[in-house]
Amino acid sequence: MAVYKRSYSAYAGTTTSAWTRILVLSRYALAEAWSSKITIGIFIFCMLPVLSSMLGIYLANNPLARELIGLRGNQNFTIGATFFLKILQGQCWLALILASWVAPRLISFDLSDNALPILLSHPISRVGYLLGKFIALFTCLSAVTWFPCLLLFAYQGYTSPTPWFAANLRIASGLLLGSIIWITLLAFLGLALSSWVKWRVVATGIIFAAVFVPAGVGAIVSAVLRTKWGLLLNLPFMMSNLWQRLLGAPESFNASFSIPTVAIAIMLSLCCVVCLGMLNKRIRAREVVRG
Amino acid sequence: MGIIDLDGLEVRLANRLILNGLTGELKGQAIGLLGPNGAGKSTLINTLLGFHLPSKGAVRVFGLDSHRDRAEIRSRVGYMPESDSFIGNMSGVRFVRYMAELAGMPPEVALERAHESLFYVGLGEVRYRKVSTYSLGMKQLVKLAQALAHGPRLLILDEPTNGLDPVARTRMIQLIKDIRKEGSIRLLISSHLLRDIDETCDEVLILKNGGIAGLCNIEEERRSNRSFVELETVGATERFSTSIEALGCECASFPGGRIKLVIPDHIEARDIYIIASDQGVQIRRMNQRRDSLEDIFLRAMDNRAERNGNGRLQAQL
Repeated sequence: MAVYKRSYSAYAGTTTSAWTRILVLSRYALAEAWSSKITIGIFIFCMLPVLSSMLGIYLANNPLARELIGLRGNQNFTIGATFFLKILQGQCWLALILASWVAPRLISFDLSDNALPILLSHPISRVGYLLGKFIALFTCLSAVTWFPCLLLFAYQGYTSPTPWFAANLRIASGLLLGSIIWITLLAFLGLALSSWVKWRVVATGIIFAAVFVPAGVGAIVSAVLRTKWGLLLNLPFMMSNLWQRLLGAPESFNASFSIPTVAIAIMLSLCCVVCLGMLNKRIRAREVVRG
Repeated sequence: MGIIDLDGLEVRLANRLILNGLTGELKGQAIGLLGPNGAGKSTLINTLLGFHLPSKGAVRVFGLDSHRDRAEIRSRVGYMPESDSFIGNMSGVRFVRYMAELAGMPPEVALERAHESLFYVGLGEVRYRKVSTYSLGMKQLVKLAQALAHGPRLLILDEPTNGLDPVARTRMIQLIKDIRKEGSIRLLISSHLLRDIDETCDEVLILKNGGIAGLCNIEEERRSNRSFVELETVGATERFSTSIEALGCECASFPGGRIKLVIPDHIEARDIYIIASDQGVQIRRMNQRRDSLEDIFLRAMDNRAERNGNGRLQAQL
């Protein structure tokens, strides 16, 4: 086919492998997500705590700098599990803001313009389509969670005058695992809810609501039934519990409200399964109307 | 082996039988898929693309099973859906490039082919505009462009002229004819507009209530049906009719000098004029027509296909 000839000719060149087409979806989804100035604004906002934490690590490991700005003593600048827990918690909640903005952009455009029949008529499966979108969202969220957290950890290991790195590897693994669990859940939740709501702004609100409204319901359940198991609907509580345990930080909640890690894992897995069920129901080239 | 082999294909959706035991071999260069609304045309296309799993039987495209080898089939097929289906937030060229990359083209080649296919369908000048700003006709064309960009072996067009004004429709039909003429792509065109199929296809599959009501080569079918002529004459009509019958035509006379006749292939209109001239009969009007696709379609719908020639003639007369 040549532009000047305006005639058609078949293509006889090489084709890419099947798995790289998933990355095509991811690439276009990422480009779509980052084409918005609001996404860039949220990303910059998400990185502000990282910069301030970096400054904190610098000051904690540099007595001269503390002297210069007039800080005395170093008990406020102890860098340990609690310090990194606060960073992880902050970054993970900021990731929720980013996810609630980005996730609807990845799916809603396809759904509102009914692009699925045309997308899925290409050699890409529904699983491949979802995996492509998941990779895009996971990458975006990684950029504000485990990646900067591990950079801070490495920076602390580098600047610490004492051998710190090897002695605190549990913090690093906790940062990585805690972030991955959270952003995986966020990615599934974001994609699932976005797939059911065509309006992006509404989808953004619903993602927030899905995290916080069940927590209120859980509190009511706990109060009425006088049980701690209502906390299993409280995603912020469960995640805070989990992050504390993963990083080995002291638990800040009353022991009577402690929930077994297994129960948290089951609940989070259940959330993911429900999200996958919602996606399976919605991401189809053709809907079959029953009745 | 045909392009599409239907082997007792049965498709059930939500416990409803949509396609019922379709069997046949489609091997035309351009295959028309005709049928009234709800006949199962779109379901058949979706099954070909592997969107629906056959409940019984099978359908093969290029010898590949529609469900098991759906990825391979989709890489060889370009699909233009009936309804609006695009990403409105993207420019035309970006959208077509995206689709070409998904079909397996390397990014640079996909970009080149996207430009080319958009020029080919006539959207070259607007290729940097967002698809959401396109008119209905342009949206149809961009869907065609994305279906063509990766160089498919089979192009499936579902109602390609849907919602188009006469000018846009003519342009779309001309494009389809050009693609057919180029020869490297087979076409499967679903439409409820007989004229579209008539102008573009050489084979037609007619569906009715999920079953095959007719499957034929349009040209062969037309050739097998004799020419049907209506005459208005002034003069000695009876003698004229007898003379024409002697030529081998089937003839029926009506008051007012009207004559209806079926002419065998070897008889030309000129022969009739010669007889009329010899007998001093004036032919004031002559309407000559062969079976149109509409006749073939209606016959299939009415299950009149089995009728013999005389029966058909009497019905027409």
